[in-house]
Amino acid sequence: MSSPAAKMAHGRNARLLLMAAGFTIWAVAFIALYGMLSVGCRFGWDRIDAVAGISVQRLQLLVLFAVHVAAGVALAVGLRPPFPREGAGGHFVRWVGYWAAVAALGSTVFSFAGVFALTACY
Amino acid sequence: MSIEQASPNPIRLHKELAALWDTPAGWGRLSAVNHTVLGKRFIVAAFVFFAIGGLLAMLIRVQIATSQTAFVGPEIYGQIFTMHGTVMMFLFAIPMFEGFAIYLLPKLLGARDLAFPRLTAYGFWCYIFGGSILICAMLAGVAPDSGWFMYTPLSSSTYTPGINADVWLLGITFVEISALAAAVEIVVTVLKVRAPGMSIDRMPIMAWYLLITALMMLFGFPPLILGSILLELERAFGLPFFDPTRGGDSLLWQHLFWLFGHPEVYIIFLPAAGAVSMMIPTFARHELVGYRAIIVAVIAVAFLSFGLWVHHMFTVGIPHLALAFFSAASGLVAVPTAVQIFAWIATLAQGRPRYDVPMLYLGGFFFVFVLGGLTGVMLAMVPFNWQAHDTHFVVAHLHYVLVGGFVFPMMAAAYYWLPHFTGRVSDHRLSVPAFWLIFGGFNLTFFLMHLTGLLGMPRRVAFYPVEAGWDWLNLISSVGSFLMTIGFALFVVDLVVQVRFGKAFRRNPWNARTPEWAMPTPPTSYAFGSLPHIEDRADRLDADKLGAELAGGSGYLGFTRNGWLETLTVDMTSGRPDQLLVLPNQTFKPLWSGLATGAFVLCLLFKFYWLSLAALALAVASLLAWTQGMGAREDVGALPIGRGEVAAPHWETERPPSWWAMVFCIAAEGTLFASLLFGALFLWLVAPGWPPPDAVSPGTILPVLCLVALGSAALGGRGALAALTAGNSPSVWLMLACASHLAAIVLLASMAAGIDDPTAHAHYATAFVTLIYAAVRSGLGLIFAGHGLWRERGGYLSQARSLDLRIGKLWHDYSAVTGAIAVLAVFATAWLVGSAR
Repeated sequence: MSSPAAKMAHGRNARLLLMAAGFTIWAVAFIALYGMLSVGCRFGWDRIDAVAGISVQRLQLLVLFAVHVAAGVALAVGLRPPFPREGAGGHFVRWVGYWAAVAALGSTVFSFAGVFALTACY
Repeated sequence: MSIEQASPNPIRLHKELAALWDTPAGWGRLSAVNHTVLGKRFIVAAFVFFAIGGLLAMLIRVQIATSQTAFVGPEIYGQIFTMHGTVMMFLFAIPMFEGFAIYLLPKLLGARDLAFPRLTAYGFWCYIFGGSILICAMLAGVAPDSGWFMYTPLSSSTYTPGINADVWLLGITFVEISALAAAVEIVVTVLKVRAPGMSIDRMPIMAWYLLITALMMLFGFPPLILGSILLELERAFGLPFFDPTRGGDSLLWQHLFWLFGHPEVYIIFLPAAGAVSMMIPTFARHELVGYRAIIVAVIAVAFLSFGLWVHHMFTVGIPHLALAFFSAASGLVAVPTAVQIFAWIATLAQGRPRYDVPMLYLGGFFFVFVLGGLTGVMLAMVPFNWQAHDTHFVVAHLHYVLVGGFVFPMMAAAYYWLPHFTGRVSDHRLSVPAFWLIFGGFNLTFFLMHLTGLLGMPRRVAFYPVEAGWDWLNLISSVGSFLMTIGFALFVVDLVVQVRFGKAFRRNPWNARTPEWAMPTPPTSYAFGSLPHIEDRADRLDADKLGAELAGGSGYLGFTRNGWLETLTVDMTSGRPDQLLVLPNQTFKPLWSGLATGAFVLCLLFKFYWLSLAALALAVASLLAWTQGMGAREDVGALPIGRGEVAAPHWETERPPSWWAMVFCIAAEGTLFASLLFGALFLWLVAPGWPPPDAVSPGTILPVLCLVALGSAALGGRGALAALTAGNSPSVWLMLACASHLAAIVLLASMAAGIDDPTAHAHYATAFVTLIYAAVRSGLGLIFAGHGLWRERGGYLSQARSLDLRIGKLWHDYSAVTGAIAVLAVFATAWLVGSAR
């Protein structure tokens, strides 16, 4: 039923989600890290050495942290200026999306940097 | 279709539009669906509840004024402080913001009404009936008494055996329906129901705040609704979600409650911040500095506020690393909040500020809210939090944040927009002493609570010993609270004086530049005689000039047609007009639906469970009756909308507001379902008393058949739509969807019935509820499919008119996917339990 014009409108509207993309990565990182922290503690992964004195628990948390930071960096790089002219509202969406992604990246690093040092299960 | 083409005469246009849009007099007032009428009713009702909450606060302050002044025992005192918090949070703050949003939003967006006027009315009735249940219970002496957060096990049936806790769980859930209805309404309205030309970057800043707040409500309220349902199931039927002796955990309640509870603080603050962002540019005589930066900041606040909830639980015994996550996020949220504050200061610095009464109240907001924010950062730090937890320091902090962040801005907003409501301006003789009494009384009351808190005074105690040395500080706090009350009384008197005796004015007394002032005041029921074409950011308008032009009918829809209540929808991003939205007329149906929903809640409250099924059926039937007469029995095609443009009526378009409403309802419902899965996982990971003696065993055949039925239901929904759009009858496909949903219900119920004793352990209870919940979703799918058949028989469906089936398809797909997840989740938890054994 979708006409080409309607499909274009759907695509334009879907791009509104870009404004929330950065902090969605932050939210997913939060769920993943908090969830896996609980799972690891439940199964005693903090008492199992993985490599070079780093426990399985800390290693998996570090990997999750790195994956989400990398995703945040990729998003910010993908949205970086100059912003293409995409008609009314399009430029604005990219601008907001980019700066929200930068803010979210900083938030991810700040919120979860504790995985490097703090005791995981006590 | 005839067009009763209006003459350029604004008077004639007004009469024609008023005849369609006005709410009837007498009993007809109960049929109101108009946003201006309902917005005012929400605000007045919220203010009444505010007065009730304030009186309860006075009782609290009398009780603890000194160690010798206690006049009620701990049982009644528990009811008083519980009802104070409950009324202020659920019956005042949220509905007050909803009222402002309902009244203002269409006017800010250049539209004639909200997307779903009957939903607004239904939300209003749910709010009134739910609130009344709570107040009646209080008058009967059976009010909730476990604190506004209803912590288990205190609120469990063992320790609260009466109906006190049930009143809270059912009454508040009833009110939450209102809040979710408003959230869907606001989101869809902001995204779709705007004036042509109002692209996403031209919206008034308040619309951004309301959009983001409403989205937060969609994701923030479901965890509380789920928690309330689970706790009520535990209290009523013994399903042990929070009982640690049977595999439950009281911490699950705390997680579910604060997953809602902390975002709630920002849900209350952000609309008020939106109002601040509207008022400051007007009084600074300079457009808002950092419009885009503020939007980024509000998005950041919205997300970060969902990562703070555990700072209410820092003392329950959580690993250091987890504490660090929540502590960091709690501190971090101050940054985007500060961005907004600096943007307001910059706007004042860049402009030529002029003083008026709203600015006085905004000054109070800055002072009080910033102090509350700073103590918030203190409480975000774990070591300090451990010291101050559950003391009056926290009470002081939360009042600085909530009164500073909501009450002061809303009082400023009252003075700013009251001329819009009434068409009168005040000479403000009482507003200044009222402010100083409120401001002085507030700080006297709550600043000293920081000190009593630091001296160790705990919250929620009905008595304290004279040896503690807290008497003088508490007495001064109590005196301050009475000064504040006198100030609020003066504020009310001042509003009444303005409404009754204020000077009339023509329009726009503040020289504001936003669309809501481009209309006569008090506003007409249809808001705009014709709809504007927005060519710049919506806070850069010449409201006086635009208002006169629109009243003359020179914009869009400057005429009446077929007795329809018309407004326009736009493409979300570009603001190009894309649909003619035909709104429903005044009707009593929302009132009947509200009454039926209220009857259902009351049946549950008084444990008439079989009767409650009849009330539920009545409520569903009354909601289905809303669709009667909506849409058309013949294709209409594109119609003229003015300015040489045409648009199709919304039921002949692919994604009208009702389609989007279903998308956002599904998002909220999905959050509720995800919260249930989180609960099951949480209990398996953390709760004591695991594993249970045996894992549930759903078998193989029933689950496989169930997955087939769910898939078949989705196929039926899709096939029906495909058949209709190809010009064929969708009946067979819809019947397939009906039969498949029915089969899924039977199979899911059979699997649930196969669980021996769901009350024996939380593992069985979560599996039972997960399956029943999936069956309920299939029940709704059955209703949607049956509704499609009914609409087809009525002649409302055609190739062009497929909206009913497209909405149904969304639900059929969703219920199939989540039904399958539910079945697999039961298998997964059973496997986890089995492997742990």
